[in-house]
Amino acid sequence: MDINKKLLPIILPAFLIIVWYILTDAFYIIPAYILPGPINVFSACWTLFASGKIMMHTTSTLIKVFLGIIIASVVAIPLGIILGWSETLDRLTSLIISILRPIPPISWIPFAILWFGIGLSSSVFVIFIGCVFSVLVYTIDGVKRTDKVLIEAAQTLGAKNWDILIKIVLPSALPYIVSGLKVGVSIALMCTVSAEMIASSKGLGYMILTASQLFQPGTVVVGMVIIGIIGILFDYIFRKAQDKIFW
Amino acid sequence: MAIDVKKVSKTYIRKEENFTVLNNVDLHIEDGEFVCFLGPSGCGKTTLLRIIAGLEKADDGEVYDRGELVTGPSKERGFIFQQYSLFPWLNVLDNVMFGLKLNNKSSKAENLATAEEYLKKVGLSEFKYNYPHELSGGMKQRAAIIRSLVNHPPILLMDEPFSAVDMLNRHNLQDNLITLWKKINSTILFVTHDIDEAIYLADKIVIMDKNPGRIQEIVEVPFERPRQRESEEILKFQDKIEGKLAQWEL
Repeated sequence: MDINKKLLPIILPAFLIIVWYILTDAFYIIPAYILPGPINVFSACWTLFASGKIMMHTTSTLIKVFLGIIIASVVAIPLGIILGWSETLDRLTSLIISILRPIPPISWIPFAILWFGIGLSSSVFVIFIGCVFSVLVYTIDGVKRTDKVLIEAAQTLGAKNWDILIKIVLPSALPYIVSGLKVGVSIALMCTVSAEMIASSKGLGYMILTASQLFQPGTVVVGMVIIGIIGILFDYIFRKAQDKIFW
Repeated sequence: MAIDVKKVSKTYIRKEENFTVLNNVDLHIEDGEFVCFLGPSGCGKTTLLRIIAGLEKADDGEVYDRGELVTGPSKERGFIFQQYSLFPWLNVLDNVMFGLKLNNKSSKAENLATAEEYLKKVGLSEFKYNYPHELSGGMKQRAAIIRSLVNHPPILLMDEPFSAVDMLNRHNLQDNLITLWKKINSTILFVTHDIDEAIYLADKIVIMDKNPGRIQEIVEVPFERPRQRESEEILKFQDKIEGKLAQWEL
């Protein structure tokens, strides 16, 4: 039973890899220029590892994602707490936020290049745009959902406005903030790769784009798989954090 | 004089209709008294308690706490809510120390000692590292009560605090409360719709009037403590109070 549970998620991917192998490297049913086989991908992976390129591009992408998320959190969490707390400010800003939020972050790339040039900061800007709104909206929501009884309880225990914001509203909104970060990170990862394809000379997105231009489909697949793995890792980290926070 | 309520009125607008919950209420409560407010839900007793606490504003009139005008909530007037109000992200000990840490008057070690002492009084020492969701309803209310009491509030306002607890536990909580009250000498204002509870706990029972938002009568409870729960005298007294409340049935 227990083994079954652990094995079950692996069965399908393993089966797909075998089918993939049969279709490509084993019997050449699909030609390599349409879909590279697993052997091709593994050898590309090996070359990239040996040259250290894979580490360089992965670290570069991770650094951008981290910087983007950190800056977005620093802006969105305090702002979200203020907007969630003050009805006037919330009304004042809600239209702007709802207009800006659905704009695909990638469409900011031209401005990112104009303002920050090609390189780290313009990618970080696009990632920031990508996750700032989800963190902001989730934080506002979390603050608004603070149980009124908890605020009143704190007031009758001697808490003033500032104490209430820091000691009641913030912890009670924390599960929502983490959910916002979780959504933000997955958006950020997508933005990073797109941003790197246009406005960067480093990172997994750049690696994928140059590989496709140089006709190295194996390298493209390696880049895609690494992005997927980073996604899983982030998801895992946030799920662990949520387990700790949701009481 | 602990609490002085002067001509307090409050009206709610619900679906464009006016509901008068309190109509020119005057009330005086002496230091150290245990006063119960008795009446069914919707008679304005909770609103009156919340206005005394400063959690709500009266449309008209004022409340004075030992001579000072009440303008907002304060730790001078502890409040125990009907709903569970422990902070879910803090364990029992940190919940109890919340007020002590805020007021920053004593050292960490002193705060800890005070909290432990109160936890012991209500039998929660073993559970100090548990989180609220791991406690029973009665334990949560016990923790909420001492969270307020560690602040030494001269006034303690309680809004049907035991209504969500089963009967056996409720009796325990009532005994616990009486013991604590004797030690701390606070004035307690206690809202309930349970006649037995009011008779067991109170020095005075404030009976709310059916005519919305008025006090019908204030009855002194003539029994010495510790009280019986079911003696003949008490049953007689209970009938008397029930008679006064009978108008509500109409």
